[in-house]
Amino acid sequence: MSFLDVTDLDITYTVGAGSLKAVDGVSFSLRKGESMGIVGESGCGKTTIAKGLMQLLPKNGAITRGSITLNGRELVGLSKEAVRRLRLKEIAMISQSAMNALNPVYTIGDQLVEGIMAHTSFGNRGAYKRAVEVFEMVGLEEKRMRSFPHQMSGGMKQRAVIAMALSLNPSLIIADEPTTALDVVVQDRILHRIIKIQKEINSSMIFITHDISVVSEICETIVVMYGGKVMEMSPTDTFFRRPFHPYSLGLKNAFPLITEITDELISIPGTPPNLLLELKGCRFNERCPFAQQKCAVELPLFYEPEPGHKVACHFPERVEEFRERSSHRDTWEVVRERLIREYMEKGAVEYA
Amino acid sequence: MLGYIIRRLLIMVLMILLVSTMIFLLFRTMPGDPTASMVDPSIPREARQALLERYGLHESLWTQYAIFMKDLVRLDFGTSYFYNRPVLRVIQDRLPATLILMFTAMLFAYIIGIFGGAWMAWKRGTKLESLGITFSLIFRSAPTFWVGLLVIMFFAVRLGWFPAQGMRSTGYVGNTFREIFLTTDFLRHLVLPAFTAGLYFLATPTLIMRNSMLEVLSEDYIEMAHAKGLRERRVLYRHAARNALLPVVTAGALFIGAAIGGQVLIEVVYSWPGLGREIVQAVTRSDYPLAQGCFIILSTLVMVMNLIADVLYAFLDPRITY
Repeated sequence: MSFLDVTDLDITYTVGAGSLKAVDGVSFSLRKGESMGIVGESGCGKTTIAKGLMQLLPKNGAITRGSITLNGRELVGLSKEAVRRLRLKEIAMISQSAMNALNPVYTIGDQLVEGIMAHTSFGNRGAYKRAVEVFEMVGLEEKRMRSFPHQMSGGMKQRAVIAMALSLNPSLIIADEPTTALDVVVQDRILHRIIKIQKEINSSMIFITHDISVVSEICETIVVMYGGKVMEMSPTDTFFRRPFHPYSLGLKNAFPLITEITDELISIPGTPPNLLLELKGCRFNERCPFAQQKCAVELPLFYEPEPGHKVACHFPERVEEFRERSSHRDTWEVVRERLIREYMEKGAVEYA
Repeated sequence: MLGYIIRRLLIMVLMILLVSTMIFLLFRTMPGDPTASMVDPSIPREARQALLERYGLHESLWTQYAIFMKDLVRLDFGTSYFYNRPVLRVIQDRLPATLILMFTAMLFAYIIGIFGGAWMAWKRGTKLESLGITFSLIFRSAPTFWVGLLVIMFFAVRLGWFPAQGMRSTGYVGNTFREIFLTTDFLRHLVLPAFTAGLYFLATPTLIMRNSMLEVLSEDYIEMAHAKGLRERRVLYRHAARNALLPVVTAGALFIGAAIGGQVLIEVVYSWPGLGREIVQAVTRSDYPLAQGCFIILSTLVMVMNLIADVLYAFLDPRITY
């Protein structure tokens, strides 16, 4: 048993008359102090996992199967009050849109103190002292405690949100695209600050992003998601040296590492699947250049090319071939042409 | 901030002069002749002429206007034709009763409306929410005199809890403000009309608050407040409601004007000696000075309330500075 265990997690949204499984049978675990990156395109379910862990799903969303245990304690089905006690103290979130995550009518200090006081027996003064401490950790001056959000720059607001998340030394930090709204220079500085503090207080971290180069820098493990399912899960260094899944290969083409000099960027043609439809096979089969008949009808199980590395693909034996072919633009162009052709044919059928 | 208020006050003075001009012209273009209602039509022509001259009505429109404005600047609204007393005195007698009734009713409506609206947004999509909307809209749409009569029937006649009519018990005479308004007798008389008016006012703050809450509840900082592990009630009232309040404050200031109009019927039903009833009577009696005075006071009131709302903004929302 690890520090955090997520097992067979399903999260379903009710949309109109139908329902949509945004997270489908996801399992992973996290050691104390480990940081894990979850990557994938928009709509692959990564933010839903974050909200699921925090139990902050919108009203039409619910965990429909599986379990989440933190330190051996089951989180699914906890009472509202028990969940409230966990938030910030045990699991803290650095949210996706720090720009709007601060209430415009209260000072930053008030908002920090409020969070600290909700979980501790610190008085006002004790909470204030703690808030100033975390402010210093993220590099904000004490006088900023009295600022309102609109008086601060984007980077400062982001740091204030980070300070808030770290104010009670949470054992798990969930960072949901914490730097997407910032410019690259600030982004880098803040990323390193988060990592530094995370190591200092030895908390575990789940880092959610669509930018795999960030994960390569700061995370020990990477989970690649697509269409609500895990495609590949691996220690970061092996992943970047030798990805296995065709989707991972495509992602790597689209986000080359700075250390690797490539001639061109190759994007993955097509769009993620419509999760409202019932999908049987591999979620990626439509866009996969190596897809076979089997891929559309049968869900691939994980195979482990090495301990701690899981890949959900039907063709473990053809990995070398995939790797070779995926670095050529032509391989993906074929997919693009096929998708266009299929689209036209579907249109023709509808017209007829 | 102070500079802003001073600037606003100066603009207000200009606005009042402008409004007064419009009110002046409005009454002069209205059909009817004040002498007709004041004087028996059978009196001799000379007597009528003498009356006209006494009130300056024989002068040209321009001269009348000049006199009117000159007096206005000195806060002299003239003498009521009907009461034969200075207009300002008549208004002074009536205004407090109306204002007290109105503010009590608005306080009632706004407190219930703000909390109720916030709560309804929280309970979005439940039966309780639609019940709340229906409830507030029923009293918004029902004629106030009818609701007033029902309230009288139930609370005054059937239960006998509160008096049904007037502002004080018969026989009670008070001279100072304190003697008139700061008595339990007055408060007992106030309950039913304030309740009826409050029910009528209720829909506006409730529905605006509900809408504005729904918008605020989808903001990221609300999710953040939840993520901080705050209690739901704290998120709802401290974080969401505070931000949702602004549009309600605006609506409140604008609502004052409408409220006085809406209150006329209530003043009639409860025989409440207020300004609303006085205005209606002044207009039907062609009592120009009194009607003019009332309208000018009311428009000033609306402007003052707007200024208060704008100043309140700065306190409610730190992003606003003047």
